[in-house]
Amino acid sequence: MAGSPPIGKPDLNRLRVRFGKDGRLAYLGHLEVINTIERSVRRAALPFSVGNGFARRMRVQFSQALPVGAASTCEYYDLYLTERVDAQEALGRLADSTPSAMAPVEAAYVGGRLPALEAWLTRSEWKVRLLGDGSGFCAQALDEALEALVARGSIDFMRGDKPRTIGLGNTLVSWEAQDLGSQDGMAAIALGLKTRSSNLGALRPAVLLEAAFATSALECATLDSMRVLRCGQWHEDEEGRLVEALDEGLLA
Amino acid sequence: MRMRREDRFWQIEPLLGKVTHPARYLDHEWGAHEEQDGPFHVCMIYADTYEVGQPNLGIAILYNELNKAEGISCERAYLPWVDMSSLMRERGVPLLSLETSSPVASFDIVGFTLAHELVASNVVETLDLAGIPIRAQDRDEDDPLVIAGGPSAWNCEPLCPMFDAVLLGDGEEEIVDVARCVRDARAEGLNREQILLRLAQVESIYVPALYDIVTDETSTRWGYAVPREGTGAPEVVYKRCIPDLAASEPVAQRMVPYMGIVQDRFAIEVLRGCARGCRFCQAGMTYRPVRERPAEQVIEAVQEGLASSGYDECSLSSLSTTDHSQCELILRELNERTRDTGVRVSIPSQRLDSFGVDMASAVSGSRKGGLTFAPEAGTQRLRDVINKNVTDEDLERAARNAFENGWRRMKLYFMMGLPTETDEDVVAIANAAKRVLQIGREVCGRPRRGKSGVTVSISVAVFVPKCFTPFQWVGQLERDEVRRRQQLLLQSCDDRDIHVSYHDSDVSVIEGALSKMGRKGFDVVLEAWRRGCRFDAWSDQFHYDVWLEAGRAVGVDLEEAAAETFPLDARLPWEHTSPGVNKGFLQREWRRAMEGVTTPDCTMTSCTGCGVCPTLGVSNVIAGDRHGG
Repeated sequence: MAGSPPIGKPDLNRLRVRFGKDGRLAYLGHLEVINTIERSVRRAALPFSVGNGFARRMRVQFSQALPVGAASTCEYYDLYLTERVDAQEALGRLADSTPSAMAPVEAAYVGGRLPALEAWLTRSEWKVRLLGDGSGFCAQALDEALEALVARGSIDFMRGDKPRTIGLGNTLVSWEAQDLGSQDGMAAIALGLKTRSSNLGALRPAVLLEAAFATSALECATLDSMRVLRCGQWHEDEEGRLVEALDEGLLA
Repeated sequence: MRMRREDRFWQIEPLLGKVTHPARYLDHEWGAHEEQDGPFHVCMIYADTYEVGQPNLGIAILYNELNKAEGISCERAYLPWVDMSSLMRERGVPLLSLETSSPVASFDIVGFTLAHELVASNVVETLDLAGIPIRAQDRDEDDPLVIAGGPSAWNCEPLCPMFDAVLLGDGEEEIVDVARCVRDARAEGLNREQILLRLAQVESIYVPALYDIVTDETSTRWGYAVPREGTGAPEVVYKRCIPDLAASEPVAQRMVPYMGIVQDRFAIEVLRGCARGCRFCQAGMTYRPVRERPAEQVIEAVQEGLASSGYDECSLSSLSTTDHSQCELILRELNERTRDTGVRVSIPSQRLDSFGVDMASAVSGSRKGGLTFAPEAGTQRLRDVINKNVTDEDLERAARNAFENGWRRMKLYFMMGLPTETDEDVVAIANAAKRVLQIGREVCGRPRRGKSGVTVSISVAVFVPKCFTPFQWVGQLERDEVRRRQQLLLQSCDDRDIHVSYHDSDVSVIEGALSKMGRKGFDVVLEAWRRGCRFDAWSDQFHYDVWLEAGRAVGVDLEEAAAETFPLDARLPWEHTSPGVNKGFLQREWRRAMEGVTTPDCTMTSCTGCGVCPTLGVSNVIAGDRHGG
């Protein structure tokens, strides 16, 4: 993905905030999340910086878009402030002015020259709970389906009315499926997923699972619903180490 | 039998992943009233999608007033888009309120705002989806009372079989009176009929079931409404009018939506009413008198509203914001106080004079998007007919001023099909656009490599005669003739820097018929809905042929109904309700229109005798000195 460059204004204070997205607000789209956060910042009356473009937008950058319907415990934004307000005070003011299902949970200042979050946070971890029916609806069949997809190498899918392809070799890092027994009268599977994004795209759990349920391994199973939670986002450095967005080494 | 009040979000949640824009159905917006303890519950409905209905200032005002009242709670509901309503019907899920996800049919009162005529089929759809009997007469003792109000409540006859009561005029006090009346009547154990009788005694409440429709030689074919003997219902129900806008809460919009909505900004009503007297304009006649909010209150409220909402844009809304006597002061102060915050202040449209351009400059700063003027008609003759008191020179001066101030895009609003319009008037629309373009090129230079950057867009609406205007007797121009004139206009605009857009003539016919018909018009609305009509204001959902067929099926030719001219002395289908404007004044204005004589604005000269002030016991409230123009 393209990823916007860092704002590159060393005189500004770059406050990095981790926030969640939970409950019914999981159904907000990325633009809706951005609008909500920007309005929360204004309500918090923090000394945010405003860009010089035609639209004079607030200087704030977000981590990668979360799919509509997915919850998260680890979304991030970098807010550029003209004054250095104590990070804990800023966090408190933001918490008071943000809808509770998107409440900020952590905030600290990071170096101004770090790359923009969207392109920098390349690794995600997901927890998916699947509910379904049918004789083949089990963790083992899901494993087989995912292995078949990996062997195929890529998934073709539709985004709206446009056909898309995503390669799995680089984007699907690993998974772990586990049967949870019966829930709400249906069989349940817990799936842990680790994914990687790059300029070529990001793998969305729903895309992967829809493709999995179209394979022969799961042909006797019916997927009723799934709940997706992003539970981790990291930067993967050149040595393959995972760096936290609020790692101590990044703080300013 | 009233549905049980219970949280049914669990029924909606599984559908959210299957529909477009799930944010429409989420609630929990910042500023929403989470506490809904009642015990008396009202649900206010805008019968269109969330993003269209949520910005409605009227509902926001009523929502706040009801939630403020002791023992009364108010929630909102909107009409789910077709994908969601299909799923809901498939799974037996009734329409739910937003705040508590309770069935709308479980509320004590369900209130609709009628923002325009085309909402008709959506009101039917809403009631059906809610599981509330569509006709008021079919409702059980315990069913919710269904009420309505808003700008299109004038001539509500084609919709009123659905309503137990209709609120006329300013709703902020009226809605609370209605809620209390129903609550107390229920507590006393009155039955539905007794409740309606009592409601008819509340000021400005029209109870359709208490009126019979009479057709005789004094009326049109749609008849007129007379109160049934012994009901005590008034012969004429006059609108409610709050005397002083400054006494009302200035910050009405406290809710901040998650999704993008059609007017996604903080809006404040800076004045109510307009006395310019444009003869086609229903709002100009029905919202009189003019009541300004003082500058100081506006400025403080904007600051408070922006701080508590987090919006980065503020709209100073009204029918004619640049007519506010303190407009300049308000804009100067707001610009000063919002500097370097990225906040934009906007005004809905500009007055066609240099003051209008100055005000537009004040709000735009260095950002010059497009500038909008509304000459409404192409020739001076026709502008005199419609009482649009602007001249060719005003337009030219305003355009020159705007181009000199840095604007490059000009938008001009016109209407087509106005009374007495000729081909010459239509061609003059194109000529006005050409003249403005020519001025733009004089100021900004001739096109280089085919581009000067100067463009003029003209947007041409089809004139729909509305009740309580001096043109209420006129028939609407027939559809084929509208199309011919639209083609004539297109052919007359031969410059590539002039962009022409015009309204759909089919939609206008339905709008025109709904504006003119009497109570029998409801048969058409119901039949159209049965045949699948809904979301008629959405061009991809509108089906002209289905509407026409529905009309035919119940014996109404909609094209004929829209084009019908009423005699000047006939009793009209809506005359049992009144915004306070005298019929004599409207007749006089009609005659003056035919003579091409204009009538001035009473806030800038003297009383013009419309009758509103003496009838309603109110008067214009002007905060400073008004600019002429």
